Amino acid sequence: MRQFLVRRAFRAVAALWGISTIVFVVMRLSGDPVPLMLPPDAPASEIFRVRAELGLDQPLYIQYLVYFGNLARGDLGRSIHMRQPAMQIAAERLPATLELALGAFFLAVVVAIPAGLVSAARRNSIWDNLAMGLALIGQSAPTFYIGIMLILVMGLQLRLFPISGRGQGTWLELGDWPTMLSHMTLPAITLGAFTMASIARLTRSAVLEVMRQDFIRTARAKGLSELFVLVRHNLKNAAIPIVTIMGLQLGTLLGGAVVTETVFSWPGIGRLAIQSIFNRDYPVVQSAVVLVASFFVLVNFLVDLAYGWLDPRIRYA
Amino acid sequence: MLKRQSAAHWAAGGAAIVALMLAACQPAPATPAKPTEAPKPAAPAASPAASPGASPAASPSPAAAAGPQPAAKVLQSGVATTKAPANKRDLVVATAADVTDFDPHMSTAINNITISFQIFDNLTTRDPDLNLIPQLATEWKSTGDLTWEFKLRPNVKWHNGDPLTARDVKFSIERTYDPEAKTQVATVFTTIDKIDAPNDTTVVFTTKKPDPLLPARLGFYGGQIIPEKYFKEVGADQFNRKPVGSGVVKFVEWVKDDHLTLEANKDYWGGAPDFDRAIFKPIPEPAARVAALMAGEADIILKVPSDQVDRLNQSDKARAEGAFYAGLYVLAVNSKAPPLDNAKIKQALSFATDRDAIVKSLWRGQGIVPNGFVSKGDTVGYDPNRPPLAYNLDRAKQLLQEGGYKNEPIIIESTQGQLQNDRQMAEAIIEMWKKAGINAQMEIIEASVRAQKVTQKTFKGLWWSDPTSTLQDPDGMMYRLLGPGGSQDYWRDPEGWDKLGDQARFSLDQKLRDENYKKMQDIMMVNFPWVPIVQPIESYGVAKYLNWRPNPNQLFQLRKEVLTFSR
Amino acid sequence: MAEEVTVSTAAVGIAQRRAQRKLGYHLRRVPPVVWLCGLIMVSMVLAAAFAPLLAPRDPFEQSLLLRLTPPSWLEEGEPGYLLGTDEFGRDILSRMLHGARVSLGIGLLGVSIGTALGSLLGMLAGYFAGPVDELIMWFADMQLAFPFILLAIAIIAVLGPDSGDLPIKLVIIVGISGWMTYARVCRAVVLTLKEREFVQAVNALGGSDGRILFRHILPNILSPIIVLATLDLARLIILESTLSFLGLGVQPPRPSWGGMLGQGREYLDTAWWLSTFPGLAIMLTTLAISRGGDWLRDVLDPTLRSG
Repeated sequence: MRQFLVRRAFRAVAALWGISTIVFVVMRLSGDPVPLMLPPDAPASEIFRVRAELGLDQPLYIQYLVYFGNLARGDLGRSIHMRQPAMQIAAERLPATLELALGAFFLAVVVAIPAGLVSAARRNSIWDNLAMGLALIGQSAPTFYIGIMLILVMGLQLRLFPISGRGQGTWLELGDWPTMLSHMTLPAITLGAFTMASIARLTRSAVLEVMRQDFIRTARAKGLSELFVLVRHNLKNAAIPIVTIMGLQLGTLLGGAVVTETVFSWPGIGRLAIQSIFNRDYPVVQSAVVLVASFFVLVNFLVDLAYGWLDPRIRYA
Repeated sequence: MLKRQSAAHWAAGGAAIVALMLAACQPAPATPAKPTEAPKPAAPAASPAASPGASPAASPSPAAAAGPQPAAKVLQSGVATTKAPANKRDLVVATAADVTDFDPHMSTAINNITISFQIFDNLTTRDPDLNLIPQLATEWKSTGDLTWEFKLRPNVKWHNGDPLTARDVKFSIERTYDPEAKTQVATVFTTIDKIDAPNDTTVVFTTKKPDPLLPARLGFYGGQIIPEKYFKEVGADQFNRKPVGSGVVKFVEWVKDDHLTLEANKDYWGGAPDFDRAIFKPIPEPAARVAALMAGEADIILKVPSDQVDRLNQSDKARAEGAFYAGLYVLAVNSKAPPLDNAKIKQALSFATDRDAIVKSLWRGQGIVPNGFVSKGDTVGYDPNRPPLAYNLDRAKQLLQEGGYKNEPIIIESTQGQLQNDRQMAEAIIEMWKKAGINAQMEIIEASVRAQKVTQKTFKGLWWSDPTSTLQDPDGMMYRLLGPGGSQDYWRDPEGWDKLGDQARFSLDQKLRDENYKKMQDIMMVNFPWVPIVQPIESYGVAKYLNWRPNPNQLFQLRKEVLTFSR
Repeated sequence: MAEEVTVSTAAVGIAQRRAQRKLGYHLRRVPPVVWLCGLIMVSMVLAAAFAPLLAPRDPFEQSLLLRLTPPSWLEEGEPGYLLGTDEFGRDILSRMLHGARVSLGIGLLGVSIGTALGSLLGMLAGYFAGPVDELIMWFADMQLAFPFILLAIAIIAVLGPDSGDLPIKLVIIVGISGWMTYARVCRAVVLTLKEREFVQAVNALGGSDGRILFRHILPNILSPIIVLATLDLARLIILESTLSFLGLGVQPPRPSWGGMLGQGREYLDTAWWLSTFPGLAIMLTTLAISRGGDWLRDVLDPTLRSG
């Protein structure tokens, strides 16, 4: 077990280093950030001066050594466009993304598990068909299309929810919750749709699987209420695959946030990364990538652990 | 079992799709008329713009008297319902892109100067009719060939209470070209030799050669005045983060990509503005900006897509306001890249462009077809008698033949969303050119790639440019870009066009300058260093209860003379 | 995601044989839903293949006077434009038919690249083990630890968008997005097969590595690969449309479903048909593929279960 942990941690660090190197090279190849910063009629001397100031006139390998040396000290440089430490900019955006991802995740779980349970309990009823039909759509529709359709129907036609941005306020203030929640609703549904669908389908099949087993039949035969049986025995036993996939989905959610944030102008780290790529703001791109990748690696790591904890039959080979 | 069950899933899924579609379609009949009416040119926004803009300036009601009463009322209701979108005396402006810098000398980008012109004042500024009017300076005069003397408004205070003096002006303008300061506006005041501040309210500029345009130049970017004492206390970084100016609003709070809160400067020398707070929110999606205005979540929205202008005007909640762009949208030409080195081919491109159709359809009438290379409204060089640039497919084909065109690809490198309708116009234009037999192609480039290509001069064919002069003068709009050493220097005519342009640049004789620019346009009608496409009207969305008139030339203003609430 | 596919390697071979035996049985009892999926897929492929013949109009032809016309079956519609026109007055139906070529074409080519690359690397990793394995799995780790869409955007920023008629760069980017899944599955299968008698026997008889890999191992990993590829196709079609939606995929004026949807976004509340129909096409296609893929998985390789 310990050996597994050490190996896993080593691979995680290696992956992070590889990613940041790839991003470093790709971004440097993608072009010069300086012309966009200066007025179009800026003289060449001005451009050279700014390039030198940013260290962009050095050969690539020197730039990389400098970058890596700083990275080792936790310094990812200053944003080229925003004149602030790049890591600070990226870190400031992380809460918005986490908030959205957690909201989507919460929504998915709250909707999908009951839906899956009901589907399983009332198999082939209209509810089962409706829920599983929607789940199929949720699994195959592109995130951005779901977002666009929600904006069109819920936002523009029915005027139920705001369609852009994050609510102004803080979660610490109860009075701010209505605006925070209403801003979050559509993006959270969009981001959570795929997860919701996956969890609902999985819950249904896991519960059906368990239901066939003897002890449930016994419980029923004992005359325990249907609901009690369903919740008490089924859910507990069906939990292993459900929890596993929930963990996996958290990582997927962070990836999906890139698109969702763009569609809904959500001020998260995914949108920051895209904008910074377009602006060639290397340090911010690198910071965002290091942050997101660390998070990914961490979640995957925890999921691996959860596997073993939930189901001792799974061994780490 | 499996069979039946999944068939039912599908049926349910199908039903859900249909339901979704129905929901989407349903309101369509409710907003009918629109699409078919579309091709008709919309009524020019200029006419409705005139009346509401004029009334607030004339209205005598002092803001101070009207101020406290509603403010107190709102305070109560504001506490009761936090859900209400905004305080009734909050002005919410939805922009297309967020601020990046508050230091006015560190950026000339439109999203930044939109804000910095509110927080900071210049010595001079312009009214919505583009007259140069006093701001921090009360009067100015030329005291010799090389000197300009400015009298400052007395008793003006910075937002932190410090007095604003001539030394601040000297410090600010000197900072713009100080190599140590590394500003982004180092090229604005290159004619200045030295600046003196003989007393607290007098500034004397000495120039290297006669500079008639200095007062006008002080009214645009680079000319914002910053507080020397505060700046030196906190340093450039902190100043950029927490700016202190003397303008109509004070900086309060900024959450990047979320909101920027500014507070009315009650002690503003020109009177407090007619709002308590101004909140700027970046909403990049145009449809979302319009929706925010319609839902009452925003009071002013910038960059309204042309297709939404009619819709705004038909609604009872808002209206569209337009201001003529003080420049042109042109396709700049790399005249060194064959076959574009051939004047005949370039003429053919112009004749093959149906600008009328572009203005009527893509712009919904929000613009005019240019009649040359100088924008309507410029002080010199614009010739009202010149006919609009013509569309003539047969002439285009004939010119191609005469020019020996051999189906070489002609490429438009278009940005997407940098200029309004840029990608759309490019798509329409290449189809028009194809009709003339031109092998036209387009490539989408990012803004940063375009910026690189501008400095490296590596455009493959044509690209979008929006030449404008902050001074309403063809020198800044045309000669600055196309002249020798300019950023669009791809075509030279040393004995003709260049000479005329150089002469006009350094002449104080407006009549001669006017004639020169007209002659230069005749030359350009042959050589087409640009293919001008449209002089657009820039559209803003404004809530019904707001009296506001936008300035042309992107000088966004919130002073009480131009903005009042009537709710 | 690769981890979603849990492979019990020992079971693969047995399950495969069992599945092959059951194939005939399954084919005789294809559920109607799968028929429907197949029908949708076939009609999409036919529509793409014969787009020039089927399209009522030239997909590039603009008529600015007829821009933003609603579908012909609505009150304001213009006869002859079944699904309405876009902001240039181009026929949306014709553009969708031509767009099908792009979306399906890029999806299929991308899957081919992904499968080829992934299975090759997976086989190498499994067969040679040691440093080769470590290196390949390191790359897989990297790509998994990071939303691919960001990498795709950055790569497009370096390469610039495609300019010719063949979106080669896009195909490659889409293609490399999912190789890890194939690699992991192949690696697992190879690890098991390597220990089996017939491989050992060939090895003992002096069969070359290449011969063993391609003659003896490859046939055994075909069915999981086919299943994965089917399921992956849906994902790639969505990826391509996402990139086009963000303006980084197929370049205008060439039509693609994602691009049409992205450009129609500005007209959401005034002309909903611009974005609705291409979106439905994407959804229907991916729905059909993934449902069909589910069925195929149950038939061919029940051990490959995912959520």
